[in-house]
Amino acid sequence: MSLLKPFSKLPGLNTANILLVENEEQFQQKLADTVVLQEKNVNVNVRLARSLPLPMENEESRPRIDLVVFIIHLTSELSFQSAETSLKYLDPGYFQGKVCFLVTSARNVSVPPERLVSVRKLAASLHCPLLCAEDQTTEGVTTAAHRLLAILKVAAGLVPMATGLYLSTLTRCTVPSDIDQQNFE
Amino acid sequence: MEERNSTEKTPCNNALAQRRSKSYRQSMRSCVEATHLAYTSGLLTALRIPRSRKAPKSRDITKQVDPDQVALLVKKEWQLSYVTPFYQFRHTQLKSYSKQLSAFIVSEKQQGLAIEVGQELGFKVNFSVVLGLAETDKDAETVFIQILSKQAFAAKDDAQKVVWSGWLTCVNGDLDYLRSLPLEFVSLPLFCTRGPESLTVLVKSWFEKTFDCCFGPLGINSTNLQWLASLWTGCHPTINIQYLKLVWTLPTLPPMDVTYTVHPQDAWELWDSMRQVDTTEDSISIDEVTGFIKGLQSHFFRHFRIDLSAGSLMQISTALGSSHHSGKIKIASPNYIPTILQLLTECALLKMPI
Repeated sequence: MSLLKPFSKLPGLNTANILLVENEEQFQQKLADTVVLQEKNVNVNVRLARSLPLPMENEESRPRIDLVVFIIHLTSELSFQSAETSLKYLDPGYFQGKVCFLVTSARNVSVPPERLVSVRKLAASLHCPLLCAEDQTTEGVTTAAHRLLAILKVAAGLVPMATGLYLSTLTRCTVPSDIDQQNFE
Repeated sequence: MEERNSTEKTPCNNALAQRRSKSYRQSMRSCVEATHLAYTSGLLTALRIPRSRKAPKSRDITKQVDPDQVALLVKKEWQLSYVTPFYQFRHTQLKSYSKQLSAFIVSEKQQGLAIEVGQELGFKVNFSVVLGLAETDKDAETVFIQILSKQAFAAKDDAQKVVWSGWLTCVNGDLDYLRSLPLEFVSLPLFCTRGPESLTVLVKSWFEKTFDCCFGPLGINSTNLQWLASLWTGCHPTINIQYLKLVWTLPTLPPMDVTYTVHPQDAWELWDSMRQVDTTEDSISIDEVTGFIKGLQSHFFRHFRIDLSAGSLMQISTALGSSHHSGKIKIASPNYIPTILQLLTECALLKMPI
């Protein structure tokens, strides 16, 4: 199995690499352009993929991926399933702060709420942050890019005193388990 | 009100106070979790999305409900909306409500219609109660509203025709929720309308003014459409559904609509194989429903190489009724009305801003 490993290559100087995985291949292009434009101080390389595993041919030339972002469109069931199957091809080392879930159309009225609940449960079980993004407006894309850059810089080790694992304990998705969590005496 | 108590319990101050007694990590978790308000899990107003339902039984509803009134409800396509509980709505004052509503409609129609001549503005409104649809003690009785009007250019003696009809209902609503409502409120969350949009808007604004409630559009999302498809297919042994038609919209350029019609016997066999071994049990779980739809989708994929789960389910129809994603429902057979209405009442209650 060709797992994507987080620490098998050397990091570049002042460089951060992000991988955007999306089945529909629509939002990742806009997001990639915005991310690259927003960041001035660090070299950000954005790689796009439809699903994992990544092709073997690029294995040598591919740099070390610091953050893997799964983009899930809640309007289609297929998006979620494809993200779930891609998760198998990630080395477990990624789940300590180097994976993030990005969800679009969470506010859409036609989306059954169970889908968002299952994405939340998935993100919570993997201890990863879950971001909601608005992909139709430029403002939404800019906001999403800004948030991803914040997480990327920590995951790439460019922020002093913060590591991906530490940040993920603060930002990880939680699913409130109904009533017994709300017991405050 | 109990709801206010539960919001007082949720926390920011409490979390800070706890930091001394409980561990840091637990209070951090409570701070983070308190901001998750996807579902307001208050103690009394928690509404759960149901994961299993009772199998529908064919019931001759005409034993409970007047057959004429049943005929008013079936075989017509209704547009759905949800409505929040009514303040001081009395089932005994329906006559006065009819008068008030007709006066309201006439006055609204007269505004700004100075130039149109020959428009018959005599509206008569009929409020009536449909007894027998409510399932539990807590359900309020269904109210049926009809607006009659003379057609333009009608002869003097012609009877008034029904131009708009609508009904408010609550069937097997969530008991915890209904019990938690204060006494002055009556909850009839499902509102079905049929007729010109202008009259629907007028009726809604009259209700909003009189009973301090809010209306909103109720769509039927793909999960509920799948429930309806499975429930109707499950009725095949008792009443022939004649066909099972599903319509998907795929997000291609240009968008593609796929209409997938299944022979009823095949649909029934697939559904039967999905039902778990203990078919004597009355309940259907969501896993069986998703399995049924996945079976249909994978069959389609095998033949056409198009994965329907990439699109969204828009409409389903059988001989027993049809239902559209935008909130339209048509019930053709009176035997399964309670089950369908129960599902729609649940949708309306879940959609309401609590």
